[in-house]
Order: sequence, then C-alpha cells, then structure tokens
Amino acid sequence: MEDNILLKADSYKISHHSQYPPNINIVYAYLESRGGDYPEQVFFGLQYILKKHLIGQVVTKEKLAEATKFWTEHFGHDYIEKEMWEYIIEKHNGHLPIRIKAVPEGTVVPTGNVLMTIENTDPKCPSLTTFLETILLQVWYPITIATNSREIKKILLKALVRTGDPTLIKNQMHDFGFRGVSSYETSAIGSCAHLTSFYGTDTISGCVLAKNYYSAQEIAAHSIPASEHSTMVSWTREREHDAYKNFLEIYPTGTISCVSDSYNIYNACEHIWGEALHDQVMARDGTLVIRPDSGNPLEVLERLLNILYAKFGGITNDKGFKVIDKHVRIIQGDGVNLKTIHDIVNLIERIGFSTDNLVFGSGGGLLQKFDRDTMKFAIKCSYVEINGIGSPVAKDPITDMGKRNKPGRLKLIKDHDDSYRTISNIDHIDEYDKADDQLVTVYENGKLLQEYSLETIRATCDIDIDRLDFMHIMQTH
Amino acid sequence: MSSAMENNILLKTDSYKISHHKQYPPETTVVYAYLESRGGDYPEQVFFGLQYILKKHLAGQVVTREYLEQGIDFWHKHFGYDIVNREMWEYIIEKYDGYLPIRIKAVPEGTVVPTGNVLMTIENTDPKCSSLTTFLETILLQIWYPITIATNSREIKKILLRSLVKTGDPSVIKGQLHDFGFRGVSSYETSAIGSCAHLTSFSGTDTISGCVLAHNFYLAEEMIAFSIPASEHSTMVSWTKEKEREAYENILDMYPNGIVACVSDSYNIYDACEHIWGTQLHDKILERDGTLVIRSDSGDPIEVLERLLTILYDKFGGAVNEKGFKVLDKHIRLIQGDGVNMQAIKEILELLERIGFATDNLIFGSGGGLLQKFDRDTMKFAIKCSFVEITGIGGIAVAKNPITDAGKRNKPGRLKLVKDNDDTYRTLNSIDHTEEYDAAEDQLVTVFENGKILCEYTFDTIRANCDIDIDRLDSINFM
Repeated sequence: MEDNILLKADSYKISHHSQYPPNINIVYAYLESRGGDYPEQVFFGLQYILKKHLIGQVVTKEKLAEATKFWTEHFGHDYIEKEMWEYIIEKHNGHLPIRIKAVPEGTVVPTGNVLMTIENTDPKCPSLTTFLETILLQVWYPITIATNSREIKKILLKALVRTGDPTLIKNQMHDFGFRGVSSYETSAIGSCAHLTSFYGTDTISGCVLAKNYYSAQEIAAHSIPASEHSTMVSWTREREHDAYKNFLEIYPTGTISCVSDSYNIYNACEHIWGEALHDQVMARDGTLVIRPDSGNPLEVLERLLNILYAKFGGITNDKGFKVIDKHVRIIQGDGVNLKTIHDIVNLIERIGFSTDNLVFGSGGGLLQKFDRDTMKFAIKCSYVEINGIGSPVAKDPITDMGKRNKPGRLKLIKDHDDSYRTISNIDHIDEYDKADDQLVTVYENGKLLQEYSLETIRATCDIDIDRLDFMHIMQTH
Repeated sequence: MSSAMENNILLKTDSYKISHHKQYPPETTVVYAYLESRGGDYPEQVFFGLQYILKKHLAGQVVTREYLEQGIDFWHKHFGYDIVNREMWEYIIEKYDGYLPIRIKAVPEGTVVPTGNVLMTIENTDPKCSSLTTFLETILLQIWYPITIATNSREIKKILLRSLVKTGDPSVIKGQLHDFGFRGVSSYETSAIGSCAHLTSFSGTDTISGCVLAHNFYLAEEMIAFSIPASEHSTMVSWTKEKEREAYENILDMYPNGIVACVSDSYNIYDACEHIWGTQLHDKILERDGTLVIRSDSGDPIEVLERLLTILYDKFGGAVNEKGFKVLDKHIRLIQGDGVNMQAIKEILELLERIGFATDNLIFGSGGGLLQKFDRDTMKFAIKCSFVEITGIGGIAVAKNPITDAGKRNKPGRLKLVKDNDDTYRTLNSIDHTEEYDAAEDQLVTVFENGKILCEYTFDTIRANCDIDIDRLDSINFM
C-alpha cells in the first residue's frame, strides 16, 4: 500500500474530478517559491521523486482495487474516479499521461520564478495534474536544504578567502543530522541535498540515495573516525586521559575527531591534549580535530583557539591570520545553523584567527529546522483548457495579495546578463512564443526523459570564488 | 543489490559509529543506554512510534553476508580505508542468524509520562556485541519525531476539549483538528509517521499515508481516520471569477448529502459568504441533507473568522445553546486551515468565546504546524549511555557532565520507570536510589529481544492509553 500512487495524494484530491468545470481537457499547474529570506534557490530533488513515485507502470488493476477499498472505508463512500484510472491502465498501460517540465537540477534561480510545470497529456485525465501535487510539492524540502547549504557555503567561502585557504571549503560543513530528522527517507533526501554543496557527511543514507537516484559512481561524501560521549565516559572521569590516549593509538595516522567536553573542555584542551598528550599529538602523522559540544560557541571557541595556539603553536599566514599547527583543529558541532555560522566566522576573524582552524558540524539546523513556509513553496493551477479553449486561471484573495498566482502558461527565460525571469502567455504575449524556455521536459507519459548526475548538479550550483563579491549574501538576523 | 542498500542496517547509522567499537575500554562487555526528553515546553509526552522503528529496521534477520559485504564496501569508500567491526557482524550472522542481540525496554506505547523520565533503555545481550547498543542510537533516536507529534496533538486536544466543554459539545472533538500536512513534510515516510502520531489523539486526516502505516505497523484492521469531499483552489478558479457561483453550486450538486467542504477565498471570502453562499445558494444549502463547511485560507484568521461568523449567523441563523453560546444552523460550519498551530488555535478559541460563539462552529486544519515545524530540540530528546560493564571491573555508572552545560548531564546507572500510588511517574537509577531500585516495579516492558518483538500494541490500545478524561480536565497540566 505504501507503493500505491493512488494512496499518495491528500484525501480531498480523490473528490476533485467532480469539481472541475464540465468538458475540461487540460489542467496546467506550476511550482514556485513565493519568497522567504532566501534570494535564490537551488533546484534539486525532483529526479528522486520521479524515480521513486511516478516512473513506469505505477497504476495496475490490483492497486486500483486496493485503493478503492481503502478510500471507500476512509470516506464512507466511493468517490474515486474509477473511469480515469481504468482508462490509464487500459490505454497507457498504467503509465501516467503527464508532462513535467523543470529547470535542470542544480540550477540556481532567484525566488519568485517558475521552477516546474505539470500538465496532463491526455485530455481524458485532467484531474491527474493536481492529483500529483501532494507528492510533487514535497520537492520543497530538497530545494530548501540545498539552498540553505549553499548559502552557508557562500559565508564560509568568503571567510576562507579573507582569512585562509579556500580549497578547504568542501569539508567545512559536515552533516550530523541523521538522528535529528523525522525519518530515514528524510535523512537520505536532506543529506543528499546538502551534498550538492559539500562533501562531508555522517548521514550515510544521503550517499546511498545519490548512488541509487543520482548516478553517483564514486562515493558522494566522506567522513573520519570520531568519538562520541559514550566511548569517552565509559572510561570514567578518572581515566579521561586514558580514553584520549587510546584514541590516538588506535588511529595512528590520518584525520580523527575527539569530543572533549564530557567534563571540562578547557581542562581537556589545556592539560590533557595540550600537555600530557602534547608530544603524541605532534608526533602523529595526521590531524586531531577537537570537538566541543556544549556551552556558548562564541565563548568556548575563543577560549579554545587561544589555548590551543598557546599549547601547540602555529603560524601567521600570508593574509595575517593565525593558523594553529596542522596537527590540531577544532570542529564545532553544537548549535550550528546559518546564523550562528555567520556569528562564529565573524568572531574568529575579529580575534585574529583564520577560519581554516575550524570545521562545522550541524544536525537539526542543517536538515530539520525548515518547512514549506521557509521559502513559501506552492504549486498552483494557472491555466486550463475547456472544450479545447485555453484560459488563464488565478486565485487572487482579497485577504492576501501574496497568494495571487501567475496566470497562464509559463516559461523561464534567461536574459543576456544571465539573469532569470518568468514570462506568461497572458502578461507577455509578444515575447512568449519565441522565447527560449529554460524549463526542460524531464518526464512524459511515465518516462524519465532527462537524467542529472550528482556530479553535474554539483558543478551547476557551484560558487565561483571570483564572483563572490558580487553575490547576494543573505542577511542573517 | 542496489535497492537493498536502503534496507541495510549497517548503513543506518552515523558514519562515526562505525569507528566506535575500538574506542570503548578494552573488554567492555555491556553498554547500556537510555532515551529521555530533557525538557522543552511540553510538561508530559505521549510515547509512540517505537513499534514502527522496530518492525521497519530492527526485527528479524537484518544482518546477512550480503549486507555485510555491501556495508564494508560502502564504508571503505566513505572513509578511504576499512574500519568496520567485521568480527562482531560475522559473529552475529553465525551465532544469531543475523538477529540483533539487543534488549530494548520501553514504556507501553500511548503511555503519557512527564518529561525528564526514562522512556526506553537499550543494551546488548551478548558480551561480544557491546558496541551494538550505541550503533543503533541513530535510527532509534528518530523516535523523537512521532513522540513530539503525538504529544503536540494531544496538547492541542486538551485546549480544544476545555473550550468545547465550556462553550459547546465535547463529543465533536475527534474531528476538530484535521491533518493537512502531506505536502508540507519532508518525505512520504515522514508523512506516514507524523500523521499516524497525530491520529493517536484525533480521527480526521487527509494524510492517508498515516492510515496505511497504522494498518501495516499498528495492527489497525479498521480504518483509523476519515475525511470528506472538499474543494481546492484549482477546482474553483478553473471556472473563472465570473463563474464563481456556478463553481460553488456544482459542489452542492455533486455532493447532495453529507459533509462537504468548500474553499471560498479565491477572490473575496466575504463576498462569497454573504452573497453567494448566504444569498444566492442560501436555500439550496438549507435544503441539503448535510453540512457545508466553508474554508477560509488567507488573511488574519482572527479578523476573518470574526467577520465570517457574524455574516453566516446573520444569513443562516442558528441558536443559542444551553451554555449561552451561539451555534450556527447545522447546515453550515467553518474550517480554518491556514496558519494553524497551537498558539493560533488558542487565540482563535479566545476570540470565539469573546464574541459569544461556540467552538462547535469551527474545525481546524493544519499542515506544517502539525507535522513539520518540530525538531529534536523541541522536546530535547537524547539517548545517552549511562552504564557499562567491563571484565575485571564489573558494572559502573557513566555520565557526561560538561562544565559548559549542566543541562547535558545524564542520569547514571541502570534505570527504572516507577509509578507511585497517586499514578505519578518518576525515574529511579541503580546509583542514586540503591535501596528502592531492586524491589521497584519497572513500568518499562521488554518489547524487543534478540531480534524478536515481544510486545505489540494495537492502535486502539494506544489511543485508549493517551485519551483524555473530560472529567479530569481541570486537574490536567496545560502548557
């Protein structure tokens, strides 16, 4: 039943076929982000939804029977549009007669533009368009996560350009969100979306999704051995030193991370790492990344940077900022989100340290603390054909102008200066027909017509360092 | 092979946990951990969702040679070298036929427990598999979500019930908060878990995936929730503005009896209610054998609802109930489905009371505010290791206690949840409560052991466990 497309729509949509005007042939709808704080968005995640829910023979006699029974119990009445679904089974072999056009995955588009359009290809199936709204609109999530992570990347890159080494960007924002999301599936979608801008994760499900749905030939991201509190406190407080020593011994080389705040992070850094194990850390062929996990990050990080620089030494780089000896780094994995990252990099710069010294980890703030209102995503019907005659349709509530939708058929246009805008066949009649649509038909009649690999997507939404100064960086109030 | 990766338990944990087996003290034979909500605004919580996680991820033969090789290969690529605890996983395949040697105890699903108490404990049953306990933390801790949703919905139920008792008919409670969240959550799976959690307190949903989950994982043989035919903007605006009346009339014609909802704010909700519903289609509505529920979907709910209630009472009439509040004629009701969350509901109920209308007149619909706008910090959920056994040392309590955050200290030792004579709960641990601990009766029940589910809860039972007794509403803790 979990794989039955007929049970993947809001209940009320079962009733909609009776509510459209008679003789309606085409229902056309589109997706946009109507605003929010993010100025531009990364389009990502549609391919997963298409492959998971909509491709191939998704309607069968068995599924129709199963759903009809379930819906009848749910409504107390049989409202299902049996005729249409049987027709889809007979005429289309259970493939959905739908066309979906979308901007290529990874494309960065300013909000307020059309991203995707949906319409039925068979005039006998007009109610199918908005039937699919529920599952398609869940694309709000991967778009929002990919967008947020890319905004974080802008902030981190700017700081690295100013104070250190920009080549470190790929691993500077590590995903810790596996346990803090609402389900396994969400962890996979969200972590994969994050990986359109970064290459470090502990949410392995995202790498699995990238392989299964985005043709990732290579592993999409990496991680390192690291401790958690249970592996430290199980030695007891009296043996904190032994716990840390053991840690260095079992990983004699490479980058490793050790959570160090179980009892007293300052003591751990100053006396255990900084003195008792100092030589072992320095003799090691690799980097120890110390992880604080409590307290006010600004306060803790300032103290730790100073302690570690005093104990392990370092250099002042050619940009004038202090970089701790390469054997030691810090990862901040608690209370991290777009805003606190901004605050932290500002602090680090202010106290004269390079942001090379620090890596970030984030869980809920990276993958869970978002919703459809964050970027105000909606799918709206904007055009119908009745008796073969097309007409634009739009809601326009007197109670909220922001909820008005664009009318008519839509195209996404790219102007000479590479900026995007949306035109409709109603408001831009002169331009519309000839205009080159950036939206590409990705799905038609059950088949996937375009596939994007994670590699391509990453290249498409990458950030050009040389253009950082011209980029729109979000306000983080 | 590739589809199996999503079902591979070795790939359902945070990467760093692959490295943990070497980090424990040598000869650690038992690792014991527990789940609690460390605070947040909610005073008490509904325990729900573990059975889904157990059945979906942990029960039965979850480790096979094929999964092990697949896991080793993937982790090797991810770390750049091989650090999987091969020995332990091979042992689990040989000795346990791939069943997990783990014991999980938990409070029965649906039980309402004050925050700050142990809800679940996890420990390994075989001394050779001590790192398994915290390996499972990742997938088990996702239980924060169904608990939080079930808890939040129940808190809203308290508020609605109190209001209905005061101004109207409490028997309508089950349909008064309808789930609209299917499109606004992060994935299909989340929609199913969240909507099912909401349905532990209510019976109305449009997120049908929750009913499917209840059927597949919670032994629900009967349909657990219901809905009604209702319009959306596309089915209204496709008639165009000029034919708004025809669009509405068609709804009445298509559904000649029963309850039906119609979104009415496509252009001007006041005009729609006053002139179209209230005048042109007035008689048709009153003759209809059923209720038309008018849906408002924009504007400030307080402002809009006040105007609409006044317009509709004026146009359709009604009566003053025995509690002194106005109830619209039974052929007409309202549903507020926009901007709804606990705070907005409180404010709207206050408004209704203030202007003399019974809560019966209104139903609420909620999407993101019901199923998505929550996170692990909402109720501060965590799983923490509190006890270990080490050969030659025996059992020792362990606890983190960061100087940088006293709130992050965990309870030490083995734990029991006890229920006192007055039905209140508290948590005992084997360190601080040595006298009481051994004899105390543990409310936690062994639900999972060595790959088998020992205790199953039906959805009916869960609903009964977390139901609210109207007669005790006054003594119940409101947020």
